[in-house]
Amino acid sequence: MYRKFVNARSPLRLLEKGLNGGLGIGNIGVLVAGHGVGKTPFLVGVALDELLRQGTVLHVALDQTVSHVRAHYDTVYEELASSTHLDDAAATHTEVDQHRSIRAYAPSGFSAAKLRDAVKVESEAGSKPSLILIEGLEEISREDLLDVGALATELAAEVWLSFATSGEQVTGIPEEVKALDDIVSVVLALEPGDGSVVLRALKDHDNPDLSELHVALDPKTLLLVRN
Amino acid sequence: MAMNDLSKTRNIGISAHIDSGKTTLTERILYYTGKIHAIHEVRGKDEVGATMDSMELERERGITIASAATYCEWDNHQINIIDTPGHVDFTIEVERALRVLDGAVLILCGVAGVQSQSMTVDRQMKRYKVPRIAFINKLDRSGADPRRVTQQLRDKLAHNAVMFQLPIGLENEFAGVIDLITLKAIYFEGEEGRDVVEKDIPADMVDAAAVAREEMLDAISMFSDELMEAILEERVTEKLIHEATRNGVLSMDLTPVFLGSAYKNKGVQKLLDAVNRYLPSPFDIENTAVDLTNDEAPIIVEPKPEKPVVALAFKLEDGRYGQLTYCRVYQGVLKKGTSIINSRTQKKVKVGRLVRMHSNEMQDIEESSSGDIVALFGVDCASGDTFTDESISVSMTSMHVPAAVISLSVKPVDQKSSDNMGKALGRFVREDPTFRSEVNRESGETIISGMGELHLEVYVERMKREYNCEVETGAPQVAYRETISKSVPFDYTHKKQTGGSGQYGRIAGIVEPIPAEEDAPDFEFVSEIKGGSIPTEYIPAVEKGFRMCLDKGRLIGFPVLGMRIIVNDGKSHSVDSSEMAFQAAARGAFREFYGRAKPVILEPIMKVEVEGPQEFQGAMLKSIMQRRGTVVGTTEEGGYSRTESEVPLSEMFGYATDLRSLTQGKAEFSMEFARYLPAPGEVQKELKEKYESKVPDDD
Ligand SMILES: Nc1nc2c(ncn2[C@@H]2O[C@H](COP(=O)(O)OP(=O)(O)O)[C@@H](O)[C@H]2O)c(=O)[nH]1
Ligand SMILES: [Mg+2]
Repeated sequence: MYRKFVNARSPLRLLEKGLNGGLGIGNIGVLVAGHGVGKTPFLVGVALDELLRQGTVLHVALDQTVSHVRAHYDTVYEELASSTHLDDAAATHTEVDQHRSIRAYAPSGFSAAKLRDAVKVESEAGSKPSLILIEGLEEISREDLLDVGALATELAAEVWLSFATSGEQVTGIPEEVKALDDIVSVVLALEPGDGSVVLRALKDHDNPDLSELHVALDPKTLLLVRN
Repeated sequence: MAMNDLSKTRNIGISAHIDSGKTTLTERILYYTGKIHAIHEVRGKDEVGATMDSMELERERGITIASAATYCEWDNHQINIIDTPGHVDFTIEVERALRVLDGAVLILCGVAGVQSQSMTVDRQMKRYKVPRIAFINKLDRSGADPRRVTQQLRDKLAHNAVMFQLPIGLENEFAGVIDLITLKAIYFEGEEGRDVVEKDIPADMVDAAAVAREEMLDAISMFSDELMEAILEERVTEKLIHEATRNGVLSMDLTPVFLGSAYKNKGVQKLLDAVNRYLPSPFDIENTAVDLTNDEAPIIVEPKPEKPVVALAFKLEDGRYGQLTYCRVYQGVLKKGTSIINSRTQKKVKVGRLVRMHSNEMQDIEESSSGDIVALFGVDCASGDTFTDESISVSMTSMHVPAAVISLSVKPVDQKSSDNMGKALGRFVREDPTFRSEVNRESGETIISGMGELHLEVYVERMKREYNCEVETGAPQVAYRETISKSVPFDYTHKKQTGGSGQYGRIAGIVEPIPAEEDAPDFEFVSEIKGGSIPTEYIPAVEKGFRMCLDKGRLIGFPVLGMRIIVNDGKSHSVDSSEMAFQAAARGAFREFYGRAKPVILEPIMKVEVEGPQEFQGAMLKSIMQRRGTVVGTTEEGGYSRTESEVPLSEMFGYATDLRSLTQGKAEFSMEFARYLPAPGEVQKELKEKYESKVPDDD
């Protein structure tokens, strides 16, 4: 399949629909899930979608090494390329790699200021990120998150954070996230369901009615699928 | 602890695709074996800790569970767990880690099953003949299906995988396992599942267990006549089952499958039992070295304490305690206070301190047992060096060696140098499997090749220092490769009538690219000739004809790889056909189809790591980008940043100088071969033009 069609048929288009246009540039979204449920594969799926649409991704990891995150990308990319019979898969892989940068920090070594530094260096050497993913954040202060939001606006980028809960089922927006509710635009939960891992909206901008998202993560292939 | 009971030593690796639970499992193992006293939730943090030793985080957790080798004890057995990278970087380092293993546990995620990287690692393990047992993890997760994963082991990895357990419940309800040998239900109770409790099999599973046991017995009876008889006579004992299983595992014809959830503390102890029971001890594995005093004749090294010591340094680690050299002792005993010889440098070193690494601490020991894994302190050597007793001179080599990526011509400056050069090169080639030397047939020049510019520079310098041999070097040449990218049919007839007898041979078939996987063969020849359209005696000549063409591709004259040729038709002539004619037909066919099969030039890509103070981050990144590099990522710690990237080798010439000036000499870099990738269009064009301007057309 041509890349164009892969993009058009991506389950993420469905997610955007469910969220009335998606996260939106300048906005922060939070993905909530239990350990090992699939936060990384989900975010990698989001990132690959962005990369296949010519975007640039900065993937910040506070809980994994660079090579670990990279291996996730390689795995998901290979699955995606083979399941969609993507044309020119090898060359596209190289291109995708070139527009993605991974940064690893110790959890305590990270802050909004660090992120600004990183973005500055990355932008000078290559291009500005249009999507920023931050994984493994255990806590973040209100000021820092506000600054991350400001940075997203300056860059016209979207920002996704992942947040780990202790159980597999997510009971609601976690307290830590709730306290920052006004800064966060979207909160999604990822939970094991019947044979797949299902995505559910806990917050969708200012929408009082949360719609069904019809997007899931296939735990066998680690690909995002329609549900 | 019986230090010398080698039959109770296990040197194992745990191999897994990312996120299958290797870290979690390792941590549980260390917990149950009493090496750590609490289970921390993993979340992959160890991974960070594992590579960034100094990090605060690791101090917080106080454990390094991913050091090169970790020692623990289970049921009177000594187990060394050797770190085996899960994502395959094709480096000699990985090869070394695999080489020192005697056996391995293959972990699979019970949901995701066999993934692409499990396949690559598995292939490597096969190459090193590492017997394996499997552990299907994460059975507590939704979608877990151990039967399907077992089937994948059979289908995708071609393992004779046999379930030795059945799950009691799955997903949320996963409660324990049924041991098909004892026919008992096993539960893991108490604090962190420490108590292994045996109960009767739940009533609704009795039948299923009986069926599964039968299947298991059926599969393993292949490996023991005694068991086979016992089955017929209905007097099967546990001992017979264990023996048969062990036979099957050791010959790599059987992969017993165990089940559990590391995270939920289930199944780990039974897996450890299986490691002890079925994986080999150093006694069970034959290892060979080459005798440096006898023209490198292979000799067997045996784990006998009375024999002269032979140890392989397989990993150097800059830990927080200083430089550690991990060694596998293959023969004899390493003793503290004795002297050993580095068989590469012939230098004598003293064994000052000998330690065993536990997860979070080390223990000083007086001597190693034979077949054990230990670490030496403050020994000057390179990874891959062999240490021996003074009485012998052997080297543990013969590893799978990646192709050289760079070459250089060397010309002695005077007669004396010329006399010494052969000796020097001969020596280097012996010492270092990645270093090669040959005389070019056409130009008569001596060409040395290796894994990088620096690698060759070191040897040129050593020729001068150690052998009084001064040489002039040519410009470094990148070792490009050629491959085809399209599958095409061919049909070629070689026909020549010169005077009396002629030459005749027709061959037809398909040529196709072999996907570029780690272990893909460089060339494959398949004959599907039926009914003698090409007489059998000529088929080797056809293969030979093709092989002759591989040395020199028709794009830029570099070796061709990744090509499969299937010959399925042809024709011969009773008088005019000969080996020579068919060889010529193959060469002609090659010339004819090569262009149509969309040949491309492959260039070596290096994995480059640059490390320096954070303020130079930007400069370091830019230095990579300017060289057609792809930045994989950057790690920041304690004011330093380390960037991992992939850069074409051809762009790396002079990098050391550039980096120095960009960073005031404060950054360092390391480089090693990663893989071959098609060169971008402009580069291909340039290389072709250069080649064509040099070489007359020989069609
Ligand atoms: N549910 C569940 N999660 C697990 C299990 N084993 C590991 N995990 C989780 O899977 C993720 C990856 O595990 P890790 O041990 O780091 O995998 P590695 O990459 O193979 O070292 C972590 O979030 C673990 O908590 C298990 O048996 N069950
Ligand atoms: Mg891990």
